[in-house]
Amino acid sequence: MENTQLLGLITGVLFGFALHRAGFSRCGLVMRGLAFRDFTMLKVMLTAIAVGMVGAATLATFAPEAAHLKVKSLYVWGVLVGGLIFGVGMAIAGYCPGTALVGLGGGVRDGLLAVLGALLGAFAFILAYPALEPILIQPLDLGKLTLHETLKLPYLPTALAMAVMLGGIVFWLNRLETKARAERR
Amino acid sequence: MIMERTEVSTQAACATETPSRGALPPWLIWGGMIGLVQVFAIATVQPLGVSTAYPQLVGYLVDQVVPGFAESQPYLQKIGAKIGWEVMLVFGMALGALLSRLLPGGARTAACELPALFRASWARGLAAFVGGFLILFGARLAGGCTSGHMLSGIAQLALSGFLFGAAAFATGVLTASLLLKRANGGR
Repeated sequence: MENTQLLGLITGVLFGFALHRAGFSRCGLVMRGLAFRDFTMLKVMLTAIAVGMVGAATLATFAPEAAHLKVKSLYVWGVLVGGLIFGVGMAIAGYCPGTALVGLGGGVRDGLLAVLGALLGAFAFILAYPALEPILIQPLDLGKLTLHETLKLPYLPTALAMAVMLGGIVFWLNRLETKARAERR
Repeated sequence: MIMERTEVSTQAACATETPSRGALPPWLIWGGMIGLVQVFAIATVQPLGVSTAYPQLVGYLVDQVVPGFAESQPYLQKIGAKIGWEVMLVFGMALGALLSRLLPGGARTAACELPALFRASWARGLAAFVGGFLILFGARLAGGCTSGHMLSGIAQLALSGFLFGAAAFATGVLTASLLLKRANGGR
């Protein structure tokens, strides 16, 4: 096994383990999360994003040689239409491409079925790509834009401020939920 | 039988059990851990991203049966029909979930409420399959999924991540709310 393959495997085991412990092997966590009946999904996601945000900016600032960042291109139509399709699928399945694997590994039948559907979806996209590329991917490609570069703000302070904001949202969601639970009793 | 069916319960009994006083809540521990895994990924190879692995794996497998398939498809020429970091990440994720399930404390993930439409087992299975198709098709069109565009994209303050997140949540919230509303008799 090559070095990068081994690193991928190790990263995946840690990622899958954490997602399973957070409860994502069950489709209900995402479904209820999207319907705002349970804030676990949002709290886990926003916490993970905030930690990653601080880590990425810290690495980029103090150890740029170790910061393998990869900003994705903003091709407006493809990202928008793809996101809209993705949202419908996520609500129906109760899984995203990562948590479906966690469902599969966690022994949930629906996780296996979602992974099989996802493989077929990937196959369909491979075949559809030549037709979709000229209409949804090539036009209105604005490039690899980031918030701080677009607004000409320094990277690390912007990331820290955004992370604090996300932390505030998580804190607020948690309080809402605790209050609602106390009222139900 | 290794595979279990998704249990149906009308009560909200998700993984968020109230932790004992003084202990950190699970969402904070595991959300924070995922953030640290992200930092590890960035420091070693690249930010977390799951959905690229699916077409890479499909391309690799189909190419074994139909030689020349990968070479003939423009999308596979672009991303490569290979077993690299991405596909190994995906194998690792299923393995990590299995480990979590087998190790102490892993069986506690509780069942959750499902929409009434999905109470029939076959309907739920079909929904998982169709939903799975849509998430991969949508993610590849957008160039990333929850991990690539949100966990990684938003964490890097990428504008594409914010747009994807907004779009996915718009239809996701709408669809899930409609499905769960019907589950509770229009409440």
